[in-house]
Amino acid sequence: MHIAEGFLPPVHAAAWTVAAAPFVIHGGRAVVRQVRDNPQTKLLLGAAGAFTFVLSAIKLPSVTGSSSHPTGTGLGAVLFRPPVMAFLGTVVLLFQALLLAHGGLTTLGANAFSMAIVGPWVGYGAYRLVGRLGGGLEVSVFAAMSLADLATYCTTSMQLGLAFPDPETGVAGAVAKFLSIFAVTQIPLAIVEGLVGVLLFRILRDVARPELISLGVLKDEQPAPSDPTRTEA
Amino acid sequence: MRGLAIDDAAWSSRWRERAVRDKACLSLGLLLTAALLPAWPTAPIVAVTAVGLLVISAGTRTDLVLRALRGPLVFIALGCVSVAVVVDAGDGFSLTVTDDSARRAASVAGHALAGTCAMLLLAMTTPMVELLAGLRRLRVPAACVEVAGLVYRLLFVLLESLGSIRESQTVRLGYSSLSRSFRSSAMLTAAVLTRSWSRARRLEQGLAGRELSTSLRTLDDPAPSSPAFLLASAALLAVLVTTAALTTGVAR
Repeated sequence: MHIAEGFLPPVHAAAWTVAAAPFVIHGGRAVVRQVRDNPQTKLLLGAAGAFTFVLSAIKLPSVTGSSSHPTGTGLGAVLFRPPVMAFLGTVVLLFQALLLAHGGLTTLGANAFSMAIVGPWVGYGAYRLVGRLGGGLEVSVFAAMSLADLATYCTTSMQLGLAFPDPETGVAGAVAKFLSIFAVTQIPLAIVEGLVGVLLFRILRDVARPELISLGVLKDEQPAPSDPTRTEA
Repeated sequence: MRGLAIDDAAWSSRWRERAVRDKACLSLGLLLTAALLPAWPTAPIVAVTAVGLLVISAGTRTDLVLRALRGPLVFIALGCVSVAVVVDAGDGFSLTVTDDSARRAASVAGHALAGTCAMLLLAMTTPMVELLAGLRRLRVPAACVEVAGLVYRLLFVLLESLGSIRESQTVRLGYSSLSRSFRSSAMLTAAVLTRSWSRARRLEQGLAGRELSTSLRTLDDPAPSSPAFLLASAALLAVLVTTAALTTGVAR
């Protein structure tokens, strides 16, 4: 759910850019530090960014009849952590604006705030919390991916509600309007993205165990699926 | 849009050889004009000017511009419906559309449509590699620009993989039912992710074998800025702003 170019009033667009800037700059500095200390990681970062972009070209099974694609904010947060996603997510949003006309330049700050900052942090927080409560990897991944999606959708609705308050019911009424009009696609999408995320991690656990261990998603002592004597992280 | 049609259009644009700075000045000027001045009549003037320049001067195909506009138009339409509808919580709950709210929604739609057209003027005439080189010249940290450049270069490999895997899944009836679609989507995502890792690892090993462990910079040969183009852009913007200001009464 990218806010289109020119949709937000200039003051709001500038305010959201200012709000997103510290997170994106922090992410950018982390990337600069990482590349300086370990130059070969830039290729992995590039691959991560390209993967996040390509997610928008994957069609998910749609329950409402509309075509929908994963936002990837939860997946990115679980795999690459939220600070890196703040930078990579912003780069991907810039590419989506200029290569797909999804989003815009003046609305880049607002879209980055919802999709590259709030979504990944909420998704990562849910992933860690459910993991600590003993939910297991699959429940944690479902929570991360669906809640990241829902948080992005709620933040975008809030941004639109603040920009265009309802004449009768104010900001609260406007937020409710935007939430309900986008709920038709966004709530089923969040559930579908969570379910696909669970299946995805089942597959990745089998075919990309070393990569998941190196990213810290699985622990080193993680068993092979066929080995029942070892336990899961 | 299928693939990266906007980038393809930028590579074959008649304005490709123009300096990034010149095109950015014109496009951002139109963007600011659309954003800051009242929507009517500024929005239609900016939209028509941007699309006119794209099609007539830069030689972009009209159907490509219309296809690029399709996605944003869906968001603009849905968003404007929300702006147009007023919640009446007085005697029970009802939704109405007043003259004011309809006018406001039309104004938002105008700003958004004009802004999108102005952004497309830059996107459909300037390949991404040139925009990234422009960011480097603006002193954005080299490591960040380099990672962004790698993202761009790896996109094509991954999009091709995605297309071929999806095609083979489809012909094997991978999307013939809801449950199969779920599984196929997950397998497709996993395959693209593992391919991106393996591609990055192979690139890294190839570069390490050549002792290229520092920067991956390529030659940057920026096109010279054209004073005539900049002057014409400034004149066009001045005419647009004056026309809009006089029509809306801002300048009275």
